Amino acid sequence: MLTLLLVILGFFAGLLGALTGIGGGVLLTPILALHFGIPIREAIGTSLVAVITTSAASSSVHLQRHTTDIRLGMTLELATALGAGVMAYLVGYFNRNVLEGLFAAFLLYSSIMILSKGGKVKAEDELSPSANGDTVIPPYEPQRYPLGLGASLVAGALSGLLGIGGGPIKVPVMFIFMNVPLMVATATSNFMIGVTAAASAIVYYRRGDIAVEIAAPLAVGVFMGSLLGARLAPRVHTKIVVYLLVGIMLYLAAHLAIHLLRGGA
Amino acid sequence: MNQRREPAFDRAVALVLRVGAFSCFFVMLAGLVAGLFVSGRIPVDIERAGVLLMLATPVVRVIVACFLFFRERDWKYGSISLGVLVILMLSAVFGIGEH
Repeated sequence: MLTLLLVILGFFAGLLGALTGIGGGVLLTPILALHFGIPIREAIGTSLVAVITTSAASSSVHLQRHTTDIRLGMTLELATALGAGVMAYLVGYFNRNVLEGLFAAFLLYSSIMILSKGGKVKAEDELSPSANGDTVIPPYEPQRYPLGLGASLVAGALSGLLGIGGGPIKVPVMFIFMNVPLMVATATSNFMIGVTAAASAIVYYRRGDIAVEIAAPLAVGVFMGSLLGARLAPRVHTKIVVYLLVGIMLYLAAHLAIHLLRGGA
Repeated sequence: MNQRREPAFDRAVALVLRVGAFSCFFVMLAGLVAGLFVSGRIPVDIERAGVLLMLATPVVRVIVACFLFFRERDWKYGSISLGVLVILMLSAVFGIGEH
């Protein structure tokens, strides 16, 4: 029964993630912690597995469209993997309440960011040169590598801390500061998420913070949900889904805050 | 340099990710189905294999890219890939904790 619930949870997280372009990992950790009674550190480690699954599946699609800059991705991964690995190690020394508080703050911050952009989150919405399915990428040369690497270090650390992909940081950094076209930035960020999440997930696994009986049904659900979401995405009115996602995020942030105020763990 | 399009390179890396994602999906699914009929360690062990396969997929992806860069004599990006691989290995070594 629990297994079935986890598959369903993963399915909806994957579906919402693929429809909105915001990874479902941001929902999984708090729901596992609040509604399944899983210690938050295990919830983070467990949702990292789902994050890797989504990244692998969606990145293979981007790669076949040749919109991923593997060289740029690999270079920035030096920083994201380092940040993620080190942070995952440090998390072992963090208090559970601190983690829950940080997560609530992150959910609130992300919700505000999405709302301030009027619900526009998908890169493809703003830049769609694919009239005939062929993606035309203007020539570019990535710039300001030190800045990009620094921001990637932070994105990686956040990923290792909260069990998320960190796309909302990497995409704007590549797009705005490094002069990379938005489409390439999105595909490359997706590409990097797998390695970033793996760098911290390996640490969580070795520490015993990944519960396989929970991670497996969750990942199975996420995989099916994101495949369906990717197919539905062109036909679904994204804005409504984004507001649904923001609603859930705000609910989870409030729930975490109340949980903490009542004395936390 | 960066915008050089290499379809074969992209396809090879995409294949690694696709095979990894699908095989881990089916292994995990097999574990879940096994759990319906058998109790005990066997289903959990199958699920564990699926999780480990998923953790290994990005590592294999880096190894393959590293190999392809060196084969192209692209020393710079070959070394960068090797660096990423070293970081991943280090996280496996330092991931030991008794918490």
